[in-house]
Amino acid sequence: MTAVDLGPAQRTTPRTRIMRLNWLGATTGWLWLLVVMVPIYWVVITSFKTQSNYFVTNTFAPPSEPTLKNYSMVVQNDFVRYFVNSVVVSVGAVVPAVTISFMAAYAIVRGAGNRWLRSINSLFLLGLAIPLQAVIIPVYLIIIRLQMYDTLMAIILPSIAFAIPLSVLVLANFIRDVPRELFESMRLDGATEWGTLWRLAFPLTRPALVTVTIYNALAVWNGFLLPLVLTQTPEQRTMPLALWTFQGQFGVNVPAVAASVTLTTIPIVLLYAIGRRQLLSGLTAGFGK
Amino acid sequence: MKRRDFLTLSAGTGTAAALAACGSSGPSNSGGSGGAAGAASYWALSGQPSEPIRRAAIDRFNKANPSTQITGTYFANDAYKQKIKTALGAGEGPSIIFNWGGGGLKTYVEAGHVEDLTDWFAQNATVKDKIIPASFGAATVNGRIYARPVESVTPIVLFYNKRVFDQVGVQPPQTYGDILDLVPKFNAKGIAPFSLAGQSRWTNMMWVEFLLDRTAGSDVFNRVFAGEKNAWSDPAVLDSLTKVQDLVRADGFIKGFSSITADSSADQALLYTGKAAMMVHGSWSYGLQKANGGDFVSSGALGYMNFPPVDGGKGDPSNALGNPGQYLSISTKATPEQKEIAKKLFSTTLLEDEEIKGWVGAGYVPVLKGSETQLSTSPNADFLKFVYDTAVNAKLFAQSWDQALSPTASETLLDNIAKLFQLQISPQQWVDAMNGVIGK
Amino acid sequence: MTMLAPPAVRVTELPTTDRGRGRSVVWMALPALVAFLSFGLIPLLGALGLSFTTWDGIGNIQFTGLDSWKAALTDPGLPHTLAVTFEIMILSWLVQTPISILIGVFIAGRQRYRGLLAVLYFIPLLLSSAAISITFKAILDPNFGLGSGLGIGVLNQDWLGDPTLAIAVLIFVVSWQFIPFHSLIYQGAVRQIPTALYEASQIDGAGRLRQFFSITLPQIKYTIITSSTLMVVGSLTFFDLIYVLTAGGPGDATRALALAMYQKGFMANLMGPASCIAVILVLVGVALSQLLRRLGGRGDESQMEGM
Repeated sequence: MTAVDLGPAQRTTPRTRIMRLNWLGATTGWLWLLVVMVPIYWVVITSFKTQSNYFVTNTFAPPSEPTLKNYSMVVQNDFVRYFVNSVVVSVGAVVPAVTISFMAAYAIVRGAGNRWLRSINSLFLLGLAIPLQAVIIPVYLIIIRLQMYDTLMAIILPSIAFAIPLSVLVLANFIRDVPRELFESMRLDGATEWGTLWRLAFPLTRPALVTVTIYNALAVWNGFLLPLVLTQTPEQRTMPLALWTFQGQFGVNVPAVAASVTLTTIPIVLLYAIGRRQLLSGLTAGFGK
Repeated sequence: MKRRDFLTLSAGTGTAAALAACGSSGPSNSGGSGGAAGAASYWALSGQPSEPIRRAAIDRFNKANPSTQITGTYFANDAYKQKIKTALGAGEGPSIIFNWGGGGLKTYVEAGHVEDLTDWFAQNATVKDKIIPASFGAATVNGRIYARPVESVTPIVLFYNKRVFDQVGVQPPQTYGDILDLVPKFNAKGIAPFSLAGQSRWTNMMWVEFLLDRTAGSDVFNRVFAGEKNAWSDPAVLDSLTKVQDLVRADGFIKGFSSITADSSADQALLYTGKAAMMVHGSWSYGLQKANGGDFVSSGALGYMNFPPVDGGKGDPSNALGNPGQYLSISTKATPEQKEIAKKLFSTTLLEDEEIKGWVGAGYVPVLKGSETQLSTSPNADFLKFVYDTAVNAKLFAQSWDQALSPTASETLLDNIAKLFQLQISPQQWVDAMNGVIGK
Repeated sequence: MTMLAPPAVRVTELPTTDRGRGRSVVWMALPALVAFLSFGLIPLLGALGLSFTTWDGIGNIQFTGLDSWKAALTDPGLPHTLAVTFEIMILSWLVQTPISILIGVFIAGRQRYRGLLAVLYFIPLLLSSAAISITFKAILDPNFGLGSGLGIGVLNQDWLGDPTLAIAVLIFVVSWQFIPFHSLIYQGAVRQIPTALYEASQIDGAGRLRQFFSITLPQIKYTIITSSTLMVVGSLTFFDLIYVLTAGGPGDATRALALAMYQKGFMANLMGPASCIAVILVLVGVALSQLLRRLGGRGDESQMEGM
């Protein structure tokens, strides 16, 4: 399928990269890796310490008597349920959000001359500048009116809305890179726009779709404000909120928090490791050149 | 029930659960979640060691009253404060509202969210007579009682590390003057005189409260509380604020105190690891130090006292500060059945022997008169007796300022207190800023 | 016309017969439009409406005209809050952009460990802001943290208790979280630059540095605009991070707009003035993205590889 290789995300054949700010870039790169890893190392080793031991030992020393107690405590604390809630919310928000953003992006690119689509596009771009905090109060009131308070749907719907602007931007940039001739030949074959969307644009923009999916999934997965304001019972709790419950009334059990941070991050690291290739190539085209 | 929900969700359809939830939360039934007939909802704080005690009390009630159930939901402290506000605003609050009395309760009363319980207490004198009288102050708004004091009384006290005192060869302070003399002695040995979790702001506030109370008694703050114009302009306030800043300048508090938060218990760790000699903190800190401080508490190295008097001050040295209790109010939005259930809880299950055992075991003093006997059998008897005496013998048990004032004023208060400790503003600027929010 | 700089717009001249076709794709944008209107734009108008009311979040909402606006705009803390917001924005941009470009260029190379580096780099982005803040707070504890852990006294600073240091820490944590993401964007952009350009300049005898400034930077111009827009607008929404790390402290040294709004609304019960701040927040965000779009006034040079 040579057609598929026309996307800008194609893996370039090895070639000699001439220009490199080698030493400066390398130094920065490795230094930053260290900066990134130190806190992560800290989280992992702390999660194996006991709370009473935590303040007494050197904070960067590995635990003298490693314990799995924090992990079992986190798991016993309904961890599985919160995990499932987070999965439901993330999948339930991201799949529809990416699907409708993809359709909208396609329309915006293909109908570039249309006044309505131009306004819709501007509206979405405006949406990039709306922080969630600014509208949380009205969102809350709307959810109450819809009688969705304290349901997972209450988190899903606003999450969809706030995922749209960036998704449309990235996907539209990517669809723009599909050579016009391909659209033309689809049209000559008598394909409808709907068919073209799924048969041509979809396979060609797959890396970008993976990108926005992962990006949005991260945002929803780690979202704190929506679950905090829109749900109340433990049955509807998501992971970040659960993280908060480990904060007791008058004390944070730091090792337990470290354990829950570790546990909540593992699935995402796996997801990222799987989608990494496409994510990187998606970033390439999505965020422009 | 739970199991079924869980399966529905894992099937990946939030909708079914959503629909099920919609069915039961129509506007006619705004008593909150789990609003089946014959069920009242109750929200309270999560966290060790209190949550299991609260849960156990609710479970006992449900066992004893199979026809009327209470469903409890538990939140972390900060999450709860925000949650209860938004939920009440939307008419989605619980039937039984956990609160801290004082200014927060007053806003509920003004918005018509909580029931007036004055008559109920008059009819149920046995309930009222059991409770420490000092606890009712914060439950009273404009002379009417709107909440039932529950759980424990937690005054703020001065903890100190006896080992450190011995090591430096000094005696515990009897007066504020002694404290000032101790500061350079500890600093010379590289030990911080006071541990302080300054980022949490309320910890700093305790200092201002104590100094003002010991200097001038409770009149000044009472005038503020009553909304009197320019009430902060009393010379005693300037004097106390200056004392605070002098202590900061003299390195009375541990270096970097503004980076330390009470939530992580790091301030208490400083005390039991001997990096600091003293700490002003809530009496609940005892349980945490016992749990985390190794043999610090069991070996008798932890000392404690009420905040010492200020030389020449007018305040009664027995006065206590802190939380005179926690409070439960009944929502006006609850159905008559739910209100009945709540009142039944108030008059039967709460703070019966079983629950008292729980609080005492965790190192708390229940808000009950005459609980000395239970306290004396506890492994923490000495400390609990000290807390009980502090609370009962206090000429006045004042509520913490941030709880007593309205949320609007208390935000400004905490803000300015933080700046005062940072030496970013002068005492006079502090007074001017605070005069601006009196009565708001 | 709000338009963030999208990459290389090729002017798509639709065939004239496409007018019907143009309309036929409009419906595809409708689901997204409806979703965005109901939970994005309508709440925004709701916030605007609430800014003309007085509401403590508990009682009834009362229409009080411009009272809340007066209260919000005359609040002595507002100028400071705005200053802090811009300070965080500018500093975080200044720190993140050069480092991200450097690292991006570096990992665009063909070293074999690059894949591993990219995986590791990405981890900070996977953690929730709340978790990151809790972590850094513990690490920066002046008594039990970094300094004592590594035995380096100079690291035992009052990190979160000194206004200047607190801002510095905040910028650092933001950079820690987001530099990897922007590096990956730049990596992608650098890899798209046609090798031919470098080969040609090499024949002209240009050195590495020259190449970097005369080829690499101009070629990734639009990526810089896009990345900067994400950084700048994103900086307005830092909330969990500041809330957990410093709660706006010490005093109000790190109180940015989003946090000021939350504290006013949910902590001080002043929903009216809080909504005013929300409106200001949105206005600032829109103004900034407009400004950045102007900066990136784009031609339509197509930069397809292998021209």
